[in-house]
Amino acid sequence: MTSLTTFYLSGIIGKEVFGADGDAIGIIKDLLVNTMPSGNNDPNQQLITGVRLKINKEIRFYSFKSFRVTKAREVISVTCTELKELTTEEVNNGLLLVETILDKQIVDMNGRKLVRVNDVRIATLPAGTFAIAVDIGIEGLLRRIGIALPIKKLLSIFKINIPAKFILWDDVQAIDYSNLNIRLSKSYAKLHTLHPSDIADILEDLDRKSSMSVFASLDEEKAADVLEELEPNAQIHILENLPVAKAADVLEKMPADEAADILDEMEDDKVEILLKEMNMETSQEIRELLEYDDDLVGSIMTTDYLSFSATTTVAEVLVELRSKKPESAELYNMFVIETNEELIGSFNLRDLVVSEPNMSVSSIMKSEPLHLLDDQKVGAIAELVSKYNMLAIPVVDQKNQLQGMVVIDDVIEDLTHKRRTNRR
Amino acid sequence: MAESTFNVKKLLKQAAIFFAILGPGIITGSVDNDAGGIAVYSVAGATYGYGLIWTLIPSFIVLLVIQEMNARMGIVTGKGLSDLIRENAGLKITFFIFIGLLVSNIGNTTTELAGVAGSMEIFGVSKYISVPLVAIIVWFVVVKGTYKIVERIFLIFSISLLTYVVSALMSHPQWSEIGSSIIHPQLAMNTNSLAMVIALVGTTIAPWMQFYMQSTVIEKGLKMKHYKYTLVDITVGCVATIVVAFFIMVACGATLHPNGIQINEAKDAALALKPFAGALASQVFAFGLFVASVFSATILPLATAFYICEAFGFEAGIDKKWDEAKEFYTLYTGILIISALIILIPNAPLIEISVWSQVLNGILLPVVLVSMILLINNKKIMGTYVNNLSQNIIGWSAVIILTGLSLTLIILPLLKL
Repeated sequence: MTSLTTFYLSGIIGKEVFGADGDAIGIIKDLLVNTMPSGNNDPNQQLITGVRLKINKEIRFYSFKSFRVTKAREVISVTCTELKELTTEEVNNGLLLVETILDKQIVDMNGRKLVRVNDVRIATLPAGTFAIAVDIGIEGLLRRIGIALPIKKLLSIFKINIPAKFILWDDVQAIDYSNLNIRLSKSYAKLHTLHPSDIADILEDLDRKSSMSVFASLDEEKAADVLEELEPNAQIHILENLPVAKAADVLEKMPADEAADILDEMEDDKVEILLKEMNMETSQEIRELLEYDDDLVGSIMTTDYLSFSATTTVAEVLVELRSKKPESAELYNMFVIETNEELIGSFNLRDLVVSEPNMSVSSIMKSEPLHLLDDQKVGAIAELVSKYNMLAIPVVDQKNQLQGMVVIDDVIEDLTHKRRTNRR
Repeated sequence: MAESTFNVKKLLKQAAIFFAILGPGIITGSVDNDAGGIAVYSVAGATYGYGLIWTLIPSFIVLLVIQEMNARMGIVTGKGLSDLIRENAGLKITFFIFIGLLVSNIGNTTTELAGVAGSMEIFGVSKYISVPLVAIIVWFVVVKGTYKIVERIFLIFSISLLTYVVSALMSHPQWSEIGSSIIHPQLAMNTNSLAMVIALVGTTIAPWMQFYMQSTVIEKGLKMKHYKYTLVDITVGCVATIVVAFFIMVACGATLHPNGIQINEAKDAALALKPFAGALASQVFAFGLFVASVFSATILPLATAFYICEAFGFEAGIDKKWDEAKEFYTLYTGILIISALIILIPNAPLIEISVWSQVLNGILLPVVLVSMILLINNKKIMGTYVNNLSQNIIGWSAVIILTGLSLTLIILPLLKL
């Protein structure tokens, strides 16, 4: 017997298993792989622990340990020395290859996108039988239809190769767990390592149920980041289907302006329920933003900004920044205000860093900074941003009281939105 | 939630929701009346007068039932029909369906471009100019335009299909005769008229439409709370399909049939209308044919490329770059180019091509419909939204009738040999 046999999942499903004495035992319906790290250091090899076997119309799970797969002249045969049934827990800890991988969509962690699986490559090593890669290429398609060889021969006349495309097991994130009762947050662990905007792209391509279960598995911080990156349609779908408490928690973690943008698109009664569920401070902020019309500056400004009184020293500002750890957008521009919130100046990170610690912010600020009015049309923003190369512009009301700031990131989104199309 | 009090605000709100979700049913209904459909309705009108108009009623019911199932599957699963078939029916059936769909839709697209060529010839434009021009414009609109714009263009197109009503009214039909032929349906039991009925029903319910309907529902992001509006949308779409078909048959039945004029394709109908209903009616008819052909020539290749890629896991979508979705763009462009080239071959057997793509449709339809009914009755997929008993009875009888009709359509030519 050779020490290494490789074969495909499609080649073993439906095969008859023979006992040591040569009697037929049953038919293979599915294979179960371990979802836990297999312990032999190579994440690209995932041990096959179980087999779903049909014996006289009855389907049960058995341990794969006593099964041997051999290949002689391209013919696969499976033998089994002992049938040992798996416990429910062992079954629940595994992943069924036919049920969750074959013909299903998975996330290719390397390409960060959804792909459809045509086959699974499996290898028998001395240490056991392992799933090593999924086949997503045209070759796999043709092989399963049963026309790979004739087509390959035909194309070789024209010197065309059908490329085989594989994704190593470590880069495979299964998505469709709808038939299994395993803990989802753990199942999507690989996916959680992606950038929020990559996760958002994948969610948009997924069907309803799967996108909900993937989203529900994210922790609140990540969920807020992902929600921010989604298309409006997908945002609403997710918020409407999430339990109210969780939806409110996620919205609280988002910048108020982003949250207001989403809520603006939703039905009023649903918005009210969500706002009531949130903490008072956040919901108050969002309510104020919701009152601005869509085409006004107030509707896209953020209320997360940093402002200081004129007498604050540079050292004090730095101390506060260290303790608050604000988002980088908040550092684009910081403001100096009177006690009645009136805007008197602005300074940026550079001004702060190059100044002596004991200087007051009023001495390093630019007075009468460029600003927008909250009831100005949004069209004015682009002009100001491009003319003065500003990263963030303060927004004041008619009484010159600071209301928020417009950040370039949000404007770019708006300006380029026209060119973004969303076809599933 | 029945409220007895009349509430204007609520009514307005409902109207707003309706217009926001309007589309999938109406667009699908309009694409349905493509060049092939117009040809069949014209020929039926010219050959049998008002005699076969009654077939539109059963067609309407079946169309409605099938599209409702598509919409429900789209809403509940958020997955395209090709996704569902691939994941549940296995690769071999998927492969069979999509190779069939590819070939038959190349044939169908050819028929659409033939409609473009025919209708423009009536306005004195050579097909060597009109077909390449339309093919290029269609390609650009889809590849360079965003989906929203494309959809709006389609909706405007849909309205101009009502030009058939105009040309029918200009042909002074006898309404009492039409009425009595619908009330007393008659069918002569011979191969020709049976084949005509099959073609009429078959052209109204094409396999690719099921895929198209479901994906537009998903695209719109419709949810179960929109279900009743979707139902209205589908009904409006089906009514539009049937109304347009009705008026084409009336126009041809009123003018060509009494004078014993036989026609083979839609262009003939437009030409033949001229002496009896006037040049304007003929031109109006030709314009309707042109619009319908362009409309379907835009959607067919796009839809086909999309479903094939979806089923086999290639990246697809007009928002993707060429490099990202090579297979998708190659398929889309390929279908359009092949179809245009076939038309431009002098003396190409266009009628045979359209007949054979219809036969292929006929073989595919039962396979697609059976997969659909099995999917929609699968609790794992549909949860509580599986078919109820009456939906299953109507659904399965539609499948059986259509399968019977399709089989007859395939066997009939063999019997004639």
